[in-house]
Amino acid sequence: MSQPIRNAVTLNIDGREVTAPEGTMLVDAAKHGDIEIPVFCYEPKLGEPVGACRMCLVEIEGIPKLQTACSTPIRDGMTVYTQTDRVKGAQNAVVEFLLINHPLDCPVCDKGGECPLQDIAMGWGPGKSRFTDPKRHFQKPLPLSPLVAIDRERCILCYRCVRFSQEISEDEQLVLHERGDRSFVGTFDDRPYIAPFHGNITELCPVGALTSYTYRFRARPWDIEDAGSVCTLCPSQCNVKFTVRDERALRVLARDNEDVDDGWLCDKGRYSFQMLASEERITEPMVRAGDGTLAPVSWEEAISKVAAGLRDAGTASAVLAGGGTSNEEGWLLQRLLREGLSSPNIDSSASGARADLVRELSSPALGSRMRELDYADAILVLDTEPLNEMPILDLRIRKAVRRTGAQLLVASEHPSSLDGGAAEAVRFAPGEAAELIGALAAALGAPGYEDDGPHAEKAKAIAELLRTGPDPVIVWGERLFRTPGAVEALLACAKALGIDKRLGPGLLEVPESANGRGLREVGCLPGAGPGLAPTQTGAAASGIRDGMVNGEIKALLLSEADPVRTHPGSEAWRKALASTFVVSIAMFDDPSTAYANVVLPAESHAEKEGTVTHPDGRLQRVRPNVPRPGQIRPTCQVLTDLAATLGQTWDLPDQPAVLAAMTDDVDFYAGISDETIGGQGVRWQELASGRSWGPAVGGRTDNQGDPPPASAGSGLLLGTYRDLWASEVTERNPALRFLKRGQMLEIAPKDAETMGLENGDGVRVSVNGTSVEARVAIRTRMEAGVGFLAEGLAENNGNALVNGAGTRIEVEKTAPAAEFEAAGMGQKATVLSLEGEAAAR
Amino acid sequence: MEAKLNADKTDWSPFPYLDDQDVISVQRGPEPGGLPGAYRAFGETLRGLKTTFGRIIEGPVTIQYPEEKTPVYPRFRGRHKLHRFEDTGLEKCVGCSLCAAACPADCIRVVAEENDPENRVSAGERFAEVYEINLSRCIFCGYCEVACPFDAITMGHDYEMSDYNRSDLIFTKEMLLAEPIDRTPLRSEGE
Ligand code: SF4
Ligand code: SF4
Ligand code: SF4
Ligand code: SF4
Ligand code: FES
Repeated sequence: MSQPIRNAVTLNIDGREVTAPEGTMLVDAAKHGDIEIPVFCYEPKLGEPVGACRMCLVEIEGIPKLQTACSTPIRDGMTVYTQTDRVKGAQNAVVEFLLINHPLDCPVCDKGGECPLQDIAMGWGPGKSRFTDPKRHFQKPLPLSPLVAIDRERCILCYRCVRFSQEISEDEQLVLHERGDRSFVGTFDDRPYIAPFHGNITELCPVGALTSYTYRFRARPWDIEDAGSVCTLCPSQCNVKFTVRDERALRVLARDNEDVDDGWLCDKGRYSFQMLASEERITEPMVRAGDGTLAPVSWEEAISKVAAGLRDAGTASAVLAGGGTSNEEGWLLQRLLREGLSSPNIDSSASGARADLVRELSSPALGSRMRELDYADAILVLDTEPLNEMPILDLRIRKAVRRTGAQLLVASEHPSSLDGGAAEAVRFAPGEAAELIGALAAALGAPGYEDDGPHAEKAKAIAELLRTGPDPVIVWGERLFRTPGAVEALLACAKALGIDKRLGPGLLEVPESANGRGLREVGCLPGAGPGLAPTQTGAAASGIRDGMVNGEIKALLLSEADPVRTHPGSEAWRKALASTFVVSIAMFDDPSTAYANVVLPAESHAEKEGTVTHPDGRLQRVRPNVPRPGQIRPTCQVLTDLAATLGQTWDLPDQPAVLAAMTDDVDFYAGISDETIGGQGVRWQELASGRSWGPAVGGRTDNQGDPPPASAGSGLLLGTYRDLWASEVTERNPALRFLKRGQMLEIAPKDAETMGLENGDGVRVSVNGTSVEARVAIRTRMEAGVGFLAEGLAENNGNALVNGAGTRIEVEKTAPAAEFEAAGMGQKATVLSLEGEAAAR
Repeated sequence: MEAKLNADKTDWSPFPYLDDQDVISVQRGPEPGGLPGAYRAFGETLRGLKTTFGRIIEGPVTIQYPEEKTPVYPRFRGRHKLHRFEDTGLEKCVGCSLCAAACPADCIRVVAEENDPENRVSAGERFAEVYEINLSRCIFCGYCEVACPFDAITMGHDYEMSDYNRSDLIFTKEMLLAEPIDRTPLRSEGE
C-alpha cells in the first residue's frame, strides 16, 4: 500500500472557511483556521482518538448533541461552532469536573508552568468551583518505576500513558485499575514499570501525575532554555531538545520528527544527559607517562605528541571512527589519514562492510525512508533486533503492524522481541545468514540461487508473505556483512522483489554504530573515499587489529570508538592496543582508552556542532546546547590543528567551513548546507544531487577477513547479540545504573535438559581457554545447539569469545541457581531490589 | 515689550523679529551701588531669616541618622523576608519559583529540591534549596510578595542595604530567613 492520497475538504468553523485534507479530525482542521479547541486526551501520536476527556466538545450544525472534535473526522460543508454559549457551558463543566478531584497543588507540582491543565483551566474554565466536599486522596508521590514518580491525585484519567504502554511500546504493563473516581494508573501486577521506552509517558501526561525523578523540581519553564540537537547514542538519531538551566542539561525531550523518530525517545537517550556533566568525563588532553598514569598536558603538547606518533608510523597508521563521530569529523579523519599520512587503513564498524556492496546498497532506488514503514505491506526484519540496535525502529515497526496491518516477518539468529507480532518468525544458526537469505532469494526467483537447503521451507513462507503487496520494506542489520555472501543474497532478493524499480519501499539498514551510514559516506570505509568513491583498499577493523598485533600497523587513532568493548575479539584488541601507539578521542576512560598513549577529550552530542546521517540517508544537525566542559575543544578544530602539525594546511577554520568542503567532496551531498538541513533534516536522495546518483563504478574491493573456520567440536555454537543496556551509557548515568545487566547464556530448553542446566544457574563459558561467567537463561523461541551471549558488557563481555563465525563454546556449571537465590542475586531478588530502588526514591 | 513683526523687511529672514528687539522680557536687577544695591544684597536674606527666627522656638527636627532612624509606614516595601511557620518551624517557601517568574528585574533565583519526609525543610513535597535575591537589582516593586501562594516572602521594612561589594548584595535564603539585626521602627497609625 502506498501513501494514501488525501483530498482537500472545506468546512466552516466559527464562520471561517477552513480547508484540510480528508480524514483530518476536527481539532486539527480547526488549527488550519487558527482556531484552538482545547484537548487533553487527544494525541495523534498515540493513534486513534479515544474521546476520554470530553474537553474538545463542539457544536456541529445538524447534530443535536455536542460532539468531541478530537474524534470527529471532517466532512465537506460541515458547519462547526466552537464559541457558542452551549459549547462554553460544556467546556466550563468539563473543567469544573476535572478539578473536583484535582489537588491543585501547582506550586509544588513539577508540571506547573508547562501544564495543559493550568492553561485550559485558565482559558476555558469557569474560574471557580462549586464543589465543597473533601477531594479524593491517594498516597503520593509513589514510584511507578525507578525513574518515574506517579501522583495519582493529579491524574485526570486521560488514558494517554496507558495507551502508550498498550499500543505504542506494547509492553502492556500500564493499566487503569478500579472504576469511576477511584480509578488509578498502575502496572497490572504492581511491580515497577520497567520498559525501554517508558520515559515517554512523562512527556505525554498532560498534568503533573507522571514526573521524572531526574527532573523533579530541578527547574521551572521560565528558568530554562531549550535547544535542539540529535541524539547520537544509536542509529535512530532521534531529534531531541535539551532543557538547559545554568549551562547544564537537566532533561531531554523529544523534538517530534515524523521522518525520524515519530516523536518518541528511548530511555537510553532520554536519561543519558547526566553523563554530560559527569565528574568522570575527560575534560582535558592527557598523555600517558612512563609509569602508566595519565597526566594532563596543554593542547599544544598533546597535539604535537599525537603528530609525532602518527608521523613515525606514517603509512602504517590507522583510524577507527566510532558511532558518535560526526560526518565532518569522519571526513577530516579520513583526509588526515589518506592525505596527511598516505595510509588507507580506516574503518568505522566491526562488520567488515565491503565497499562495493555498500556502494550498491546506497543507491537511492534501493533505500527506504523511515516513513515508508508506515505504508509498507510487508516488513522483513533480517538479522537485527531493532529494540536493541535502533530502538525507535521497533516502535515504528509495531506501529505499521498495528495501524496499517503490515505483515511482519522476522528472520534472525537471536530470538526477537518482534517475534510475537510476526506473521512468520524463523531462526537460523549463527553464521548461516547467507544460506537463509540465499534460500529466500531462490524462493523469490532470483537468478543464480537454488533452494534445496534446510531453509527452503521457511524461505518459501517468507517469500510468499513478502509478495502480499507491492511495497515490502526489508530492515536488515549491518551484522549481515559478517557472513560472506549474505549481503549479496540480500541484494538479489531486493532485485527479485523489484524494489529497485519502485520509489519508496526498499531496504533499510540498521548500522552497527550511530552514525554508521554517514561515516561510510564521507569515506571512513576501507576502499571507499568520500562519496564512496573507490580508492586504495586498506585494512578493515579486524585487519587493523591483526596488523597491530603483528607490527604492520604502528599507530591507531580512535575517535569515540571503544573496540575492546564493541568489537569481536576483546582480548586480541587489548593485545593490539597495548603494543602500539594509540590516541583516543573519548568522553570517558573506557577499556580502550586505558591503553591510549594520548587521550583527547571528546565533545558530546549536546556540545558538538556538526552533521550526522540517518540510516535512511537523512542528514541532520547536531547542535551545541551546553558549553564544552573544561578544556574540551571542538574535534574538528583539533583534527585541523593536528593536520597542520603534520604539514597539511587546510584552511578550515570552523565547522561550517568543514561542512562546505565536505559536501563539495562527497558528490551526493552537493548543495547541502545548514540551511537545507534545517531543523528536520534532509535526505540526500531527495535532493538534485542525490537523484542524479549513478551506479558508481569500481571493482570489487574485497576487504573481508579470512573465511570463517569450519565449525568443529561438539559444543554449542556461539551467537552474540547486542543489548540495549550493555553499553557505557548505562554505567555513566546514575539514573540508568539499575539497568546494568550481567551476562546471560541463553540456550534452548532442549540443550538445557541435555546439559542439566536450569534457569539462573551459574556457568563458565569458554572458548580456547578464554572464558566468561554467565547465568543461564532458557529461551523457548531458540534453535537447539546454539548459546547466546550479549556483546558490549563491561565485564564478561560476549565479544571476548568471538573468533570468527562458527565458534563453539564449552559450558561448565559453576553454581546452581539456588546458591544465587540464597546470596540475594536470584531473579526474585533482582525484582525485589528494583522495587527497593524504586521505593528508596 | 511688544514684538514687532519684521514685515517691511524686504530680504526674507527666518527670524521674524528685528535684530534689536528682545523676544523675551528679561527682568534685570538694579544697577550696582547706592541704596538699591544694599537692598539687593540683604533684603532677600532678611526675608528668609524671618522664617528661620520665626520657627526657632519649635526646637530641632533633624533625625540623627544612623543613630536614629526614620520610622516607615507599615506598607513600606523594604528588604524581603522569608517566613517560617510559627508552630512547626518549617519554611513556608516550597521553592515554586513563582516569585522568580513575577520578578520584573529577574533578580530572584530559586533552585528547588525534594523534601526528605524524615527531615523536612518545608511543608510541601519540595523546598527551596537555593533562594537568592540580588538586591542590587531589585526595584522593590513587591511583585514577588503578590505572586507567592504561601505568603512565604514578604517585603520587610529594612532599607539599609548598602555594601562595599556588589556580590554581597545577593541575599541568600539564610539571610532572608534571619531576623534583621536592627529593626526598622514602624510608624504607628496616624503618625
Ligand atoms: S498538574 Fe498542572 S494543574 Fe495540576 S497541580 Fe500540577 S501544575 Fe497544577
Ligand atoms: S497519569 Fe497522566 S497520562 Fe496517565 S491517565 Fe493520568 S493524566 Fe493521563
Ligand atoms: S520586589 Fe520586585 S524586583 Fe524586587 S525581588 Fe520582588 S519582584 Fe523582584
Ligand atoms: S517565596 Fe513563595 S513564590 Fe517564591 S519560591 Fe517560595 S513559595 Fe514560591
Ligand atoms: S480531547 Fe477529545 S475527548 Fe479528550
